[in-house]
Amino acid sequence: MIKVLFFGRLGDIAGAEERKVSVPEQVRTVDDLRQLLGEDGEALAKALNEPQVMVAVNQDLVEWDHVFEDEDEVAFLPPVTGG
Amino acid sequence: MTLDRDAFMRYSRHLLMADVGEQGQETLLESRVLVVGLGGLGCPVALYLTAAGVGHLTLCDPDNVDLTNLQRQILYTEADCGEPKVDCALVALRALNPSVTFNTHCAVVGDSVLPEGGADFDVVIDCTDNLAARHWLNRRCHELGIPLVSAAALGWEGQLMTFDFARGSRPCLACAIPEDAGEPLANCGNSGVIGPVLGVMGSLQAIATLRLLLKGTNGADNEPYRPLLQRFDGRRETWTRFAIRPVSQCPVCGDEQPETHGNDIHQDKNTERKQL
Repeated sequence: MIKVLFFGRLGDIAGAEERKVSVPEQVRTVDDLRQLLGEDGEALAKALNEPQVMVAVNQDLVEWDHVFEDEDEVAFLPPVTGG
Repeated sequence: MTLDRDAFMRYSRHLLMADVGEQGQETLLESRVLVVGLGGLGCPVALYLTAAGVGHLTLCDPDNVDLTNLQRQILYTEADCGEPKVDCALVALRALNPSVTFNTHCAVVGDSVLPEGGADFDVVIDCTDNLAARHWLNRRCHELGIPLVSAAALGWEGQLMTFDFARGSRPCLACAIPEDAGEPLANCGNSGVIGPVLGVMGSLQAIATLRLLLKGTNGADNEPYRPLLQRFDGRRETWTRFAIRPVSQCPVCGDEQPETHGNDIHQDKNTERKQL
């Protein structure tokens, strides 16, 4: 099991800020995880795949090919660029 | 420089602090800071730095004050609508602290404000509202070794990243957000923003700037350099911190930087977008 956190409006779209997810063996990278979570609905898939979305594992920002491990906390952060 | 009687009174709450004191205040009075963007972030940043006696402030924004700005941009009044933000800000800030010297640029940030060959700023503060300008500032500050304090807000959320390029050249903004990502769909103009969230983030930018300026006089501030992305959720009043790691293929600070990296982005038409 891993813990998935949806920040800000990603949580509004996902309908939860936090989700426990058991992932199939072939889902290894955070990008794989993003695609898996996106299967829940088009709106979430679109929001997670915006190119400015950031992803963190255990509070370290990582690249999309990062391989996560069991029990990790994976956070998706929507872009915030206003000022 | 020695503080006169008025300065002693004005800055007395700084002078009472052991890690600011007279030496710290003199450092602030001699400091040069560039504030890019005078919107919801730039207003509180400029107000706090002017009040604190940061001696030389350069303000840059291409826009005029609009009625839709007044919900959050606390430097301006209704009478300012239609006037350039830099002019209106100048009147308000001079009234607050006439001993500060100001330079203004009613323009999108570019070479004239932050020249490639070198610029005399101790800190640059990114209060812009688009990624093109943020990435341009990141490249130029990285190249010049000038600390960059970058914040943003949208809806109930804010984020802050400080890159002290005088202490370490890696990571940079492009390690967190790719330069080629383009602009996100949601912005304050189409999705809204809570004014005080900008106030929180702008205040934090002002705090980060004062800490950077006082570094030499503030003996307590010797923590190792670990750039963070700090995220504020105004709906829950919570903060979350994330470590930003250097990306080895980063086109700005990575192992294989293109030779001409200072010029490329600036010539991109995207940097001519309006900023606030």
